Amino acid sequence: MRSNYTVNASTHLRVLSDSQLEEIHYAVLEVLERTGVDVYHDGALDLLKKAGAYVSGNNVRIPSAMVEAALKSSPSRVTLCTRDKRRTVLLEGYNFHFGTGSDCPFIIDLYTGQRRKFTKKDVAEGMKLCDALPNIDFVMSMGLISDIAPPVSDRHQFEAMLLNTTKPIVFTAHNRAGCEDILAMSAAVAGGIEEVVKDPFICLYAEPISPLKHMYEAVDKLIWAGENRIPVVYTPCIMSGATAPATLAGAMVSATAETLAGLCIHQIVGEGAPFIMGGVYGIMDMHTTIFTYGSPEFMLMQSAVSELAHFYRKPVFSTAGCSDSKVLDEQAAIEAALSILLAAQSGGNLIHDVGYLESGIVSSFDMLVMCDEIIGMVKRIVRGIEVDDETLAVDVIHKVGPGGHFLAEEHTMRHFRSQTWFPSVINRQRYEEWVNSGSLTLRERVTSKAKAILAEHVPKEVSGKAVDEVQRIIRSAEDREL
Amino acid sequence: MGAMHPILSEAASGFFRNQDSFLEDIKENLIAGRASVVKLLTEQALRRGVPPEVIVEESLLDAMKEVNRCFSARIMAIPDVLLSSRALHAGLYVLKPYLTAAGVGVNRGRVLIGTVAGDLHDIGKRLVAIMMESKGFEVIDMGIDVPPEEFVRGVNVHNPDIVAMSALLTTTMGSMKTTIDLLTESNLRRRVKVIIGGGPVTQEFAQDIGADAYGYDAVSGAQIAVSMMDQMPHVGPSDTS
Ligand code: B12
Repeated sequence: MRSNYTVNASTHLRVLSDSQLEEIHYAVLEVLERTGVDVYHDGALDLLKKAGAYVSGNNVRIPSAMVEAALKSSPSRVTLCTRDKRRTVLLEGYNFHFGTGSDCPFIIDLYTGQRRKFTKKDVAEGMKLCDALPNIDFVMSMGLISDIAPPVSDRHQFEAMLLNTTKPIVFTAHNRAGCEDILAMSAAVAGGIEEVVKDPFICLYAEPISPLKHMYEAVDKLIWAGENRIPVVYTPCIMSGATAPATLAGAMVSATAETLAGLCIHQIVGEGAPFIMGGVYGIMDMHTTIFTYGSPEFMLMQSAVSELAHFYRKPVFSTAGCSDSKVLDEQAAIEAALSILLAAQSGGNLIHDVGYLESGIVSSFDMLVMCDEIIGMVKRIVRGIEVDDETLAVDVIHKVGPGGHFLAEEHTMRHFRSQTWFPSVINRQRYEEWVNSGSLTLRERVTSKAKAILAEHVPKEVSGKAVDEVQRIIRSAEDREL
Repeated sequence: MGAMHPILSEAASGFFRNQDSFLEDIKENLIAGRASVVKLLTEQALRRGVPPEVIVEESLLDAMKEVNRCFSARIMAIPDVLLSSRALHAGLYVLKPYLTAAGVGVNRGRVLIGTVAGDLHDIGKRLVAIMMESKGFEVIDMGIDVPPEEFVRGVNVHNPDIVAMSALLTTTMGSMKTTIDLLTESNLRRRVKVIIGGGPVTQEFAQDIGADAYGYDAVSGAQIAVSMMDQMPHVGPSDTS
């Protein structure tokens, strides 16, 4: 027997203490009560007023009790499923899952290395790649397609995703009509809207406009999600120093106030409906004016927003595996690795933007494959070191004794596979072997892995009947909108 | 009178200064981004008989040249430039009545700027406006989600030299072309130069839709605007870039 024994079943990271989180929370409540947010949606203004907010023009000051009620009524966990109804992505506690980002205007062509516009075919191929990569748990489109008329490009983008992967989809849509069509397309595959609600494999993405503004389309999407009980990510994209205070704590306060204002609207229309709080919390680089996706401040805030979500007991949308570099190079690798480690360590439940380069303007399949490898490595790190009688291995140490070796031991056989992470594109060859196999760099190896997957992988198909229905929905959207 | 900021009181005591020391002081305070001091010193310099065009050329614009140099060399960052730009405009504000009387144009020209229809991205466009102001432009910001008709109305009302459009979305870039086409239809296209920018926009796209120029960031955009004005025959104040 023993007492006072503690276990670290994983590695730990805490950026903010409980007291600091609580202090941020109170500052958020004060901002909502004192400054409020601007809402450009008459329906939402009415609802907020009836619920007890102080509405004057477009400005809404929200009493703390109302925010606390919304925090109470929204669920502490949300499950996202695969298209074939496996409940794989449990957004709760410190669970973490990685996925791509959406909507980049450009792609770095896997075959030519050229930076060019994103097409529908690129989305389909990207999804195929995600479908095969073991450490990608959910998908976003990676690119915004440029070869389809803008009013219906969201439907086409969704179709390319739906048909090329079974993994849960976080989607963007132009407006409510887009959301409705996408839900109908999902229902066609799942066998009805209720099936989608019960085992959701889609999740909507919407954003406020920092600082503290909620425009019509975003609010309308939030309301749509609340009414239909489809999970929604509401995520501010703040730039500390430009659209939020230059202090990281202040930036967190301003952004979280935006999120919680969104939560209030959402919970008024859909009490208990699934809501995921978000975070693309970055800084503006004060020399180049870019929104950084690779700065240490960005990584710190991504961890901090996850911690804040844990404090609230809410699922959280985090960001990692992305870079400010223009191509897959050493900088991209550094920024991706550090951000993935920190995001995982802090339990960002739904960690997106894996594979982004150029601060979210370019998606790259190479980068995605490299990040998949980094995630594998990070998962091993986070698992930590197990300590018990078996792993302490005193018996086998005694058996082998001084000067022996462990290679042929039963104990080694039992454990080496589960103890070790086996790389796929990280190279550990000896020099001569590396030369003999073509002296390939990491970049060359990830490129060929991506090409091989695209050549070989066949995602699980959607039934012909469902495909017909999906295409009918798109055609009717085209008839209406074009 | 309450306690004065030490810098203000030092400026206020400068009654016996000569012209050069005024010009140096204004320059220094503009570079440091102290708008109220620049305003005070400019007023004093005027009262002491320093010619307004000398203050503009040798202090204000010269200082902005230095600010731009420091920004390029990464000694100064965006907030520093913004504060200096405010200080510049504080000085120009004081001088405005004298300069127009003397026939000297401090304004490089007028820019009408906005983010195009359907697009709500704001901060990039604001930065372009700030950098253009720092070059001495008068900037009219039409905000975000500006439809082509609004741009046309803006051109009619404000008579700008340059129309600047921002788009961050693949789906809203098309509105830049629609706006240019509408300007052409309204017989206004020839009256203005058009410059565009934003994430998905490229040089090639700018050419395709008949814009005059593309700027990849706020600084390059402002520089292009300056050279656009220099190419226009009727204006030609000294270069601050
Ligand atoms: C911050 C941000 C937002 C914020 C904007 C908040 C605000 N207050 O402005 C919010 C959250 C509101 C937002 C919303 C959306 N966004 Co957004 N956003 C960004 C992000 C991350 C940074 C943009 C930014 O502000 N950069 C910093 C500023 C200073 O730089 P800038 O805007 O590029 O401007 C500089 C230059 O481009 C240039 N410039 C800009 N305009 C002009 C004009 C002229 C004349 C000149 C000379 C130069 C010039 O100079 C500027 C200063 O140096 C970008 C990704 C990126 N890296 O660009 C995505 C991005 C632009 N967004 C994107 C998308 C898809 C959206 C949404 C549609 C998402 C959604 N589904 O809801 C909505 C659109 C809403 C709408 N209708 O407009 C996509 C665009 C994809 C595409 N192919 O079109 C991007 C690329 C991200 C991505 N990969 O998904 N977004």
